[in-house]
Amino acid sequence: MNTLIALPVMLPLLGAGVAVGLVHRRVAQRLISVMILSVVTLSSVVMLIRVDHDGPFSVQVGDWASPIGISLVVDRFAAIMLVVASVMLLAVVVFAIGHPGAESGHGSFHPVYLILAAGIAMAFLTGDLFNLFVAFEVTLMASYVLITLGGRLDQVRNGMTYIVINLIASTVFLISLAFIYAATGTVNLADLHVKIADLPDGVRSGLAVLLMVVFGVKAALFPLFFWLPDSYPTASLPITAVFAGLLTKVGVYAIIRSQTLLFPIDTRPGGLLLLIAGLTMVVGVLGAISRNDMKRILSFHIVSQIGYMMMGLGLFTIAGLAGAVFYIVHHIVVKTSLFLVAGLVEQRAGSSELARISGVARLEPLLAVLFLVPALSLAGIPPFSGFVAKLALVEAGLSSQEYLIVVASLVVSLLTIYSMNKIWSNAFWGRIVTESNGSLAPARSGWVLMTGATATLVAISIAIAVWAGPLYAFSQRTAGDLIETHTYVERVLGP
Amino acid sequence: MLFLLIGLHVVCATVVFLVGSRLGRWVWPIAATAPTAVVVWLLVNAGAMSDGGAVSQKSEWVPGLGLGLDLRVDAFSTLMLILVSGIGALIFAYAWHYFGNSPSSPRAAGLLTLFAASMVGIVIADNLLALYVFWELTSVTSYLLIGLDDTEAEARSAAQQAWLVTSLGGLAMLAGFVLLGQQAGTYTISEILTAPPSGTTTAVALMLILVGAFTKSAQYPFHSWLPTAMVAPTPISAYLHSAAMVKAGVYLVARLAPAFAVVGPWRPVVVTVGLVTMIAGGLRALRPFDLKQLLAFGTISQLGFLMVLFGIGQPAATAAGCALLLAHGLFKAALFMVVGIVDHKAGTRDIRELPDLGRGWGPTKAVALLSAASMAGVPLLAGFISKEQAYGALVDRSGFDRLVLVGIVIGSMLTVAYSLRFVAALVLPDLVSPELTDRPPARRTPTFWFASTGVLLATGSVVLGVAPRVWSGMVDAAAHALDPGAHAHLVLWHGLTTPLVLSVITLGVGAALFVLRRPVASAQARLTFPVSGLQGYDAVLRSTLGFAGRLTRIVQSGSLPIYAAVIFSAVVIAPMVAMVTGRWWPGWPMLIGTPAHLPIAVVLVVGAVAATLIGRRFAAAILLGVVGYAMGMLFVLQGAPDLALTQFAVETLSVVVFLLVLRVLPDRFELRSTTIRRPLRIVISAAVGVFVVLMAIASSGARTEPSVSGEMAEQALPRGGGRNIVNVILVDIRGMDTLGEISVLVTAGIGVVAIARVGRRRPADPVHPRRRRRTEDVGAP
Amino acid sequence: MIGRSLILDTTVRFVFDAAVVLSVYLLFSGHNQPGGGFVGGLVAASAIALRYIASESDDVRFILGIRPATVLSMGLTLAAATSIAPLLFGLGPLDHQSVEWSVQVLGAVHLSTATVFDTGVYLIVIGLLLRIVEALGDDPDDVTDPVTGGPDEGRS
Repeated sequence: MNTLIALPVMLPLLGAGVAVGLVHRRVAQRLISVMILSVVTLSSVVMLIRVDHDGPFSVQVGDWASPIGISLVVDRFAAIMLVVASVMLLAVVVFAIGHPGAESGHGSFHPVYLILAAGIAMAFLTGDLFNLFVAFEVTLMASYVLITLGGRLDQVRNGMTYIVINLIASTVFLISLAFIYAATGTVNLADLHVKIADLPDGVRSGLAVLLMVVFGVKAALFPLFFWLPDSYPTASLPITAVFAGLLTKVGVYAIIRSQTLLFPIDTRPGGLLLLIAGLTMVVGVLGAISRNDMKRILSFHIVSQIGYMMMGLGLFTIAGLAGAVFYIVHHIVVKTSLFLVAGLVEQRAGSSELARISGVARLEPLLAVLFLVPALSLAGIPPFSGFVAKLALVEAGLSSQEYLIVVASLVVSLLTIYSMNKIWSNAFWGRIVTESNGSLAPARSGWVLMTGATATLVAISIAIAVWAGPLYAFSQRTAGDLIETHTYVERVLGP
Repeated sequence: MLFLLIGLHVVCATVVFLVGSRLGRWVWPIAATAPTAVVVWLLVNAGAMSDGGAVSQKSEWVPGLGLGLDLRVDAFSTLMLILVSGIGALIFAYAWHYFGNSPSSPRAAGLLTLFAASMVGIVIADNLLALYVFWELTSVTSYLLIGLDDTEAEARSAAQQAWLVTSLGGLAMLAGFVLLGQQAGTYTISEILTAPPSGTTTAVALMLILVGAFTKSAQYPFHSWLPTAMVAPTPISAYLHSAAMVKAGVYLVARLAPAFAVVGPWRPVVVTVGLVTMIAGGLRALRPFDLKQLLAFGTISQLGFLMVLFGIGQPAATAAGCALLLAHGLFKAALFMVVGIVDHKAGTRDIRELPDLGRGWGPTKAVALLSAASMAGVPLLAGFISKEQAYGALVDRSGFDRLVLVGIVIGSMLTVAYSLRFVAALVLPDLVSPELTDRPPARRTPTFWFASTGVLLATGSVVLGVAPRVWSGMVDAAAHALDPGAHAHLVLWHGLTTPLVLSVITLGVGAALFVLRRPVASAQARLTFPVSGLQGYDAVLRSTLGFAGRLTRIVQSGSLPIYAAVIFSAVVIAPMVAMVTGRWWPGWPMLIGTPAHLPIAVVLVVGAVAATLIGRRFAAAILLGVVGYAMGMLFVLQGAPDLALTQFAVETLSVVVFLLVLRVLPDRFELRSTTIRRPLRIVISAAVGVFVVLMAIASSGARTEPSVSGEMAEQALPRGGGRNIVNVILVDIRGMDTLGEISVLVTAGIGVVAIARVGRRRPADPVHPRRRRRTEDVGAP
Repeated sequence: MIGRSLILDTTVRFVFDAAVVLSVYLLFSGHNQPGGGFVGGLVAASAIALRYIASESDDVRFILGIRPATVLSMGLTLAAATSIAPLLFGLGPLDHQSVEWSVQVLGAVHLSTATVFDTGVYLIVIGLLLRIVEALGDDPDDVTDPVTGGPDEGRS
């Protein structure tokens, strides 16, 4: 366990270091990426099993006792996030290897991708607020470089929006850290849990809301989400897919972690969160139905679905948080696979704009199936994973008697059905119409890799639906941990 | 076993999808295996379901959410299964002729089989949430089936409309199910029905469930998707839109009504909606020239009738509903088959353009005649028996139920009228559309086998009409399963009773309406409702899309200054509100520690302000450096030389790198009109500044315990082995942070080349690379 | 724009050598006196940058005789390896170990894995600056095609 907990952060960094030196050795870079991400995936699965059995586990980096040193903590929430994230990262890197153009840019793709993986793992595992800031910086810089890797002018232009907005958020995060350290004298999450409780109400809720704003930008909450639909679709497709699945969820993770662990129950801004959740889902879905490009539609849906996760948090009940956890897991898998399908469509039909292509189902029936399953899941249609996630949230909302947010979530669900129908009806149905995209056609082996990776993710999303019972039970245990924080704190600070 | 039956459907569908393209029309026998197996199973197990018994099977799915795949087949489910699988199997046989070797055969067969599976699921689910699962699956498969001719824009939009409208109801229903389940403490249907909850929440839940039932069963005002969905090939319409899917709503109402008809506004709502649907649908069925549209509105009307009978929730009406359910399935599927044959062989469904259906059309015409007569309620046919039951159920009651009786009598008169219209169109076409004087004979004639499934169904209508004993027991058991008090005894001759008189009146007035169809039509034209359901749907959809577009244009302006302004406003406003409502302030601290702070502060402030005002990039970079050095001086004053050294080095390098970059950028910032006016920008910036100061004072004033930095300093040497605390912190205590930050530097080092070279080295690019702007300017003053 | 000047050029050349020596000193003395890998790296990087500005040529990139990317690679590999290595010995991540022994001329020599880590930091800071210089300069044999990548793609 001691060894395992640091691996997901440090191994990819070591791999990145080696890969930077191998800029001309594409095959070696691919090997490093796939091997390291496989090891990370394996070790996170082992951690998940251990943690579910034995409870949270923490390691002090450099053997410096908490709260002086940095704690790495893995509990159920961190472990499940880590497992899902590393599976996604592995699948997408396989996809990227098959994707013509994803690895362009002087052999920079693999090292930066590994650094991104390390940053994401760091954000999930860290038990230290400043280290979380560092993790955000790592993911931010890596994602910015990945967006602009293709070196296209529009990538740099939209990357500019992305980096400026996120740097503003980082600056505010740093300032908030200063405030928090000034008020409590510590940045260790478990220690903060103890000390923030003693702060005067005004300062405490001020800090809580400030962190919400910071993480809200990262998680693309209303009204701070505008950077996302502008910047995500311009990156090369595998990169968009991994961003869509994972990056905003790092923000969501930070919100859930900070709002449950740092601030005492009575000061939790449940009403505010539900309001934001509702607005996020509604405004996001309205953006989605007004777009006419697969990637842009899907990007707006990310925003909309972040609202569902916030709904689960805003209820602050076991059922609500369990729903949120389940929703996040389902969403990461489904969203990533949908973007990968969009990439396959783009490869096969030459475009992702709905007006330019049609008849993909005739052209490539396999793609139609690969799209239909996650699309129906995203829209919350049974028997797919999205339905169980939606049901969990609806049940939680109704039993908390928060009727408005439930109504919002169901209306948004209907509009999501509309926009999935729009993609299907325009791009998949009809006579075959494609655009030629000349040099970008993938090699046969590349196509196999890409569809293989996508099909694996779709199979995982089906598995989530089939084993929804155990997964939901796990989500309930996770939610229990999040509400009852004393084990977490005790495992970090000692009894 | 029940799971195996559903699983068999899925297996058949999978086989059809995988190898169907090589099988041609042979996909249909494969697909038909599954519904046939259900029928066989029913025959074998018939005994278990009689006398109130049931076959049930349970399987957990998500126990934490109460979602279990519980299945239960009782006598009423048996009745539904006869419709779903029995008539379903016949429709599959019909589709063999209809689709033949057409390339869409495999897709249609596979999807229809999946649909059949979901439909079987609906009628045997014993868990509300499981029922919802199957319910939505029928919506999805119906979407894909309506869009079978997906190259037609009409089919695509019809599919969309059907999916959206039924999903709207489905989602309302889901909320209703969850509320009802939470009220009852279980989602198991049989348990809820034995101990039904009541109260306001339950009433709300029931209303939500009814929205779902109404949309699925095409009740007013949600009916308009059904006529539109008639673009689907006829076997699909026959199965989904007459025999099976549209009955799902009726099924749900039938299940719940005996327990819940008395809760809240259930009875008035269901009965009103049902009656309106029955009468309005019947009126609309008098107008279309397309035979399929005529049947669609006729179906809507009949569904309204079923809604009324089951929705009342009284034993006799429930029994009548069971009878009508079966009778309707028989005659309506047969009528759809007739329309399909006409469409297929004569090339049109338009009454005005029908050719002369002469030799070889005998069986088809006979099916049409008998089935339409059954629909109209002509004696010696199944429809008559069920209508007699319905009249009989209501005739002895008083008050509200009298009104209901009047309503269904009017509705039935209209049914007679449009039935006659249908028959006349086929048998005596010159009577209904005399404009077409010279009718050419139909080019092709249907084979007997094409018509054979219709003949079987019509024979069924006759047999059940002549010998009611055949199905009396089954209807009785089904009604009994719904409501222990309900019993049915079907006979041909009750004697000269009020229902019989009403039946005769119904037939007479209906015939009169047909004879007087021209005045009736002109009267109807004047009385049409200003907004049709279809227009309503279009309007809602269009306005939603319009609103979404406008809102998104506002929210997603694409302007970085606006985005930044929103974020900064959120940063200031949200925590300030929290702080102010918290009403806590530690008091102003001492603002100047030592006199030396003052000049440094002046340099800091002047440098920072000047950097925002200056127009030249070079000067701005230098001024930023000044600010940085002043910060370093503060560190020196506070006794942190290590920190100061690092700060100075960072500032030096920053300025130097700025100089490097500035060589390839224009000398001055571009003055562009930005989306946010300058005064507003100044206000926002000032607000952020003020907020940070206030928050800093408040948070440092709130400190009660010593910070961890003290301990870091103490332990740096003994544990970290270094006297330079900053360095020990960097490489040891917080080495993890450093590891992260250096990977940021590495990333920047990797990425900088790609970014800096954007747009360069294009052969056609005339601009010298070093003079080219590479990034967008953000901070123009 | 800064033009080329002989005086600047000569001064920078002189300062450059001194600065590099200083940076190495800062790197190794850092644990006990003001300094460390980060500051050392910054000093060296500033020196390289100044020399680049003064000479207007890309030759600074080849001062170390290795490609900038390789410098970055070495730095990150060193730092990450030092962080992971303790795990192989059953210790926690980043658990630095040190040895101390006396050498006749230098006196007590203190060797710590922390210094190795710090060297990684030092290399990365220098590597970053070298990459910036590379990005700004023109490199004819390093042509980037924004769509397909470039000749160094080596796609299979």
